[in-house]
Amino acid sequence: MVTKTEETELNQLENQVENGGGGVWEYLCLVRKLKVRRSELVLKHGLSILNDPGKRSALGPDEWTLYEQVAIAAMDCQSLAVAQNCIKVLQKKFPESKRVGKLEALLLEAKGMWEEAEKAYSILLEDNPLDQVIHKRKVAMAKAQGKPSLAIEHLNKYLEVFMADHDAWRELAEIYVSLQMYKQAAFCYEELILSQPTLPLYHLAYAEVLYTIGGHENLIAARKYYASTIDLTGGKSTRALFGICLCGSAIAQLSKGRNKEDKDMAAPELQSLAATALEKEYKQKAPAKLNLLSSALRSLKLS
Amino acid sequence: MNLGFVIGVIGVLILSHAGYSTIQYRGLLKITEEEFTGPPLNVVLELIVGLALSMWAALTFPGKFLSIHPDSDENRAVSLPDNSDFMIFNHRGRLFPPEITMKF
Repeated sequence: MVTKTEETELNQLENQVENGGGGVWEYLCLVRKLKVRRSELVLKHGLSILNDPGKRSALGPDEWTLYEQVAIAAMDCQSLAVAQNCIKVLQKKFPESKRVGKLEALLLEAKGMWEEAEKAYSILLEDNPLDQVIHKRKVAMAKAQGKPSLAIEHLNKYLEVFMADHDAWRELAEIYVSLQMYKQAAFCYEELILSQPTLPLYHLAYAEVLYTIGGHENLIAARKYYASTIDLTGGKSTRALFGICLCGSAIAQLSKGRNKEDKDMAAPELQSLAATALEKEYKQKAPAKLNLLSSALRSLKLS
Repeated sequence: MNLGFVIGVIGVLILSHAGYSTIQYRGLLKITEEEFTGPPLNVVLELIVGLALSMWAALTFPGKFLSIHPDSDENRAVSLPDNSDFMIFNHRGRLFPPEITMKF
């Protein structure tokens, strides 16, 4: 996960690199460490290092990692010739390498040759049947070919073996949400919260799925998770503050027809506190939109 | 070796010297058969000085302390890593390849 200081550092380096200052290698290392997807910039600046034989030899053994990074970025930007060249250089240096084999299969995927890529992955799997990355690429291929049900099947089989893989659970949750299978997505997010309970982003996503499913109990649970997000982020999550206001008004609407005993017992101050916190934040960061916010909040409380 | 380390070493030496003085004092008390009510005043002063120096060194020598608040800027998760294991190349961006030159 990317922390705030790392994000500011990344943006700073990005500006520096784009405006011609130095620091290209630090930027590329930071992108690799944080695993963010900045393919165009990586391609442009990685090539500027690789095209210059002086800078290339100054890297030493890190040169090959750079080739790999640039190859993947090139595939993402559909510059397949660049990717092919990088892979050729890597093949010459490391002839029998599985890692280069994976890159070749990835290139076949980028070209759209699904059967050949499938065959290449099966050959790689024969040598090492428990390779996580290759199983995940099979899921990605199913997703790219527009077969989400097949992707879900592969991903479920993968998760039966590798239950601790957070990225896979997150991917499964996102696929379920895209197919509107919200109950299953809620289950995936529950698994994520169990394994990493201090990460507020999972709480937020779970709360949003619960709010989408709707219904009295789900709305109350959604409000609890929005509250836990606010707790974990120290009140800095605007989305969670909005979530609490919306949940409160949705619960009030639902419980209009119910008896007094079923009325929502939890803190009625929660909604007003969230509203005040939102107004304070808007006053600080976007004072022009404060009127819009106040009128929206007022209409929520009335409904 | 910076100042913090040197002061830390001095602090530890003062503390051990105070300990040694107290042991000697107890030996003296055994000879004169008196009760050990507490170390003598100069040893107590030495202990306080040693405590102050060691604490200062312990706080400055290790360097910058990491934040433990979950919502401080260093610990706050702003975004999750983009799942590059499941990255697909089938997106709309493939219709706009960038203009690049390569010379290798």
